[in-house]
Amino acid sequence: MSIFEYNGSALVAMVGKNCFAIASDRRLGVQLQTIATDFQRIYQIHDRLFIGISGLATDAQTLYQRLVFRHKLYELREERDMKPETFASLVSALLYEKRFGPYFCQPVIAGLGDENKPFICTMDAIGAKELAKDFVVAGSASESLYGACEAMFKPDMEPEELFETISQALQASVDRDCLSGWGGHVYVVTPTEVKERILKGRMD
Amino acid sequence: MKLDLSGLESTVPHFGTSDGLSHGFPTAPSFDLPITGDFDGFQKEAIQMVKPAKGTTTLAFIFKEGVMVAADSRASMGGYISSQSVKKIIEINPHMLGTMAGGAADCQFWHRNLGIKCRLHELANKRRISVTGASKLLANILYSYRGMGLSVGTMIAGWDETGPGLYYVDSEGGRLKGTRFSVGSGSPYAYGVLDSGYRFDMSVEEAAELARRSIYHATFRDGASGGVASVYHVGPNGWTKMSGDDVGELHYKYYPVTPSTVEQEMGEVSGA
Repeated sequence: MSIFEYNGSALVAMVGKNCFAIASDRRLGVQLQTIATDFQRIYQIHDRLFIGISGLATDAQTLYQRLVFRHKLYELREERDMKPETFASLVSALLYEKRFGPYFCQPVIAGLGDENKPFICTMDAIGAKELAKDFVVAGSASESLYGACEAMFKPDMEPEELFETISQALQASVDRDCLSGWGGHVYVVTPTEVKERILKGRMD
Repeated sequence: MKLDLSGLESTVPHFGTSDGLSHGFPTAPSFDLPITGDFDGFQKEAIQMVKPAKGTTTLAFIFKEGVMVAADSRASMGGYISSQSVKKIIEINPHMLGTMAGGAADCQFWHRNLGIKCRLHELANKRRISVTGASKLLANILYSYRGMGLSVGTMIAGWDETGPGLYYVDSEGGRLKGTRFSVGSGSPYAYGVLDSGYRFDMSVEEAAELARRSIYHATFRDGASGGVASVYHVGPNGWTKMSGDDVGELHYKYYPVTPSTVEQEMGEVSGA
């Protein structure tokens, strides 16, 4: 198993009608052994910007801490929140700084941009941005997630339907992966509110 | 008087001619070999390809009322779950069970082969084979294939004239008699629960619950175990399947979720 699958993870973000949803699994493992079932992979940068980081857990945590530092500096200087597109460029640059000794992570960024237009993107471990209009996936279960999302996604879903879809796609995919699962964590974000929900899943 | 060694013969096709020296003795069983330039390298590659990580949890223990056998039902290929509904407890005959850990094909084939041999023994000797005898038959076969890449970690459980019997047999050629075994990647977790809850004088229900719990805890911690926890009991009249519970549902049965009353946190709305 590769270093990206050492801890195991599953991340997915989907775009709906003036809203987005980002979801992750909750397992932290050391190869096949499960250590924790409440591990947080999705972090909130500001009101309407979330980042989920899959891959090696230690690198994910360190990368997050560096990003928070950079974002706080930006907020102090600019006196406003960062736009999601700008934040994605920041993450990409930070990752490429370590081109010859990378962070073993795959981030998924989701936010509401200008005029509350949803923005999602993912990137590989050295910062290659992949923008998508519908959904992005990352983690050890990413292949299953691609299949499940492709099958279940519809454009312009309302927040409640989006929540159902992303939850079902996540659960179906992690049930086919030994290294991720043990519950789910879903954030559904609209211009007016953020709804955080924990999913009951198979704990095997 | 010529010794009747036909019981030692295997049904596997024989290779090569029998010369006068080995006349009367059965030749070693062998399969066709592939035609390659580098046979050793080919063998190494084949072994690596077939060798799964024994991702499973199986357990068996002897207690007052017989033998309890339990297993999960997940098959994994690396990180991918290929099936959640594999039968890992193999019914050799109505009085004997075998568990499967390691290569599925290897376990299925050799257990069925063992079943054939046990039946032939019954017909030739007019009595059922003992667990000791059956496990020895299997162990000898596996030993003869030692180093060729078979992956089998099995337990033979049964009830014969001497009472309940349990043996651990593996593809390295090992054979151990014992009262408590667990095999597979989830076995450390199962041992923890099994060893701390075990008593010799348990009732059948208590023993079944202990076995079920041990498998459940192993599926929780081990990524390569999961699916359905099957529990079988071997008594004086043969084996019976006690239960087959989905592990996902067992979790919420043992640890029900109490809905906590969280007031909705209102976040600040920026701008607007």
